[in-house]
Amino acid sequence: MTRMNHLEEVQSMISARGRAQRLLNTLTAGVAVAAVAGVGAFGYLSAATLPGATSLSTSTISTTSSSGTTSSSSSFGLSSSSGTVRSSSGSGVAVSGGS
Amino acid sequence: MTDQLLWYTTRAAGAVSLVLLTAVVILGVLSALRFKAAGWPAFLTTGLHRNVALVTLVFLGLHIVTAVVDPFTNLGWVSAIVPFSSYYRTFWLGLGTIAAELLVAVVVTSLLRGLIGHAAWRVIHWLTYASWPIGVIHGLGTGTDAWSAWFFGVTCACVAAVGFAVVYRLVAGSRDPLAAPRASFRSEVERKSEP
Repeated sequence: MTRMNHLEEVQSMISARGRAQRLLNTLTAGVAVAAVAGVGAFGYLSAATLPGATSLSTSTISTTSSSGTTSSSSSFGLSSSSGTVRSSSGSGVAVSGGS
Repeated sequence: MTDQLLWYTTRAAGAVSLVLLTAVVILGVLSALRFKAAGWPAFLTTGLHRNVALVTLVFLGLHIVTAVVDPFTNLGWVSAIVPFSSYYRTFWLGLGTIAAELLVAVVVTSLLRGLIGHAAWRVIHWLTYASWPIGVIHGLGTGTDAWSAWFFGVTCACVAAVGFAVVYRLVAGSRDPLAAPRASFRSEVERKSEP
């Protein structure tokens, strides 16, 4: 190998190392920025899935008599339920007498 | 800063720390295997492993500080340093304290590697394999979001990634190009030192 070829090879190795070093710096900065963004994103998901808020607003209850449905809901987001109300019918019984 | 913002930040920084620590473990495995490719020399893996570990410490610090100063839990600084001293979720928080301290020990000894020697550094560095699962268990045990779909998905992805890396490490063995000469040199030295 001539001296010129050896110098070119060394220059090539130096420039490759410089490129890799710049790539390392870029990747490190990218990881740091992604981590900051990750805190924001995960924080948003945390707030969305379990906000820990205890705000209370008016609940609504609606009921229909006879043969209908009843439903209730609340702003807790914990539960809402609905069910069917059935009415019964029959002949009345009159009670009289007694003392 | 509101209490709720602190709470969200604690949870988010914990999740980010888990992801970063997972990346650190995988990069460590790749470093041990002397991974390199075209345009990706081996020192790049090692350098990224070190830098991501330092970034992890920053976000782990954020996770700990926001948890401690959150007035709702009122943990106190002692519980961030002394394992199992917290009144709040004692066992699970204690695991988190141990995981964090192991990680700090690994990073500090890595920065002081020249002073403590390679053998001591290597032994302490193996603690990473304890720190990571303890951190995962801490997240599942004490994490408010442990069973939320997003956090559970993140945890499963991290466990799968590290599991794959560790199995690959075990299967691939040592890629140290000087492993054989070193071994023969050691055996020769031991043979000559025998009376």
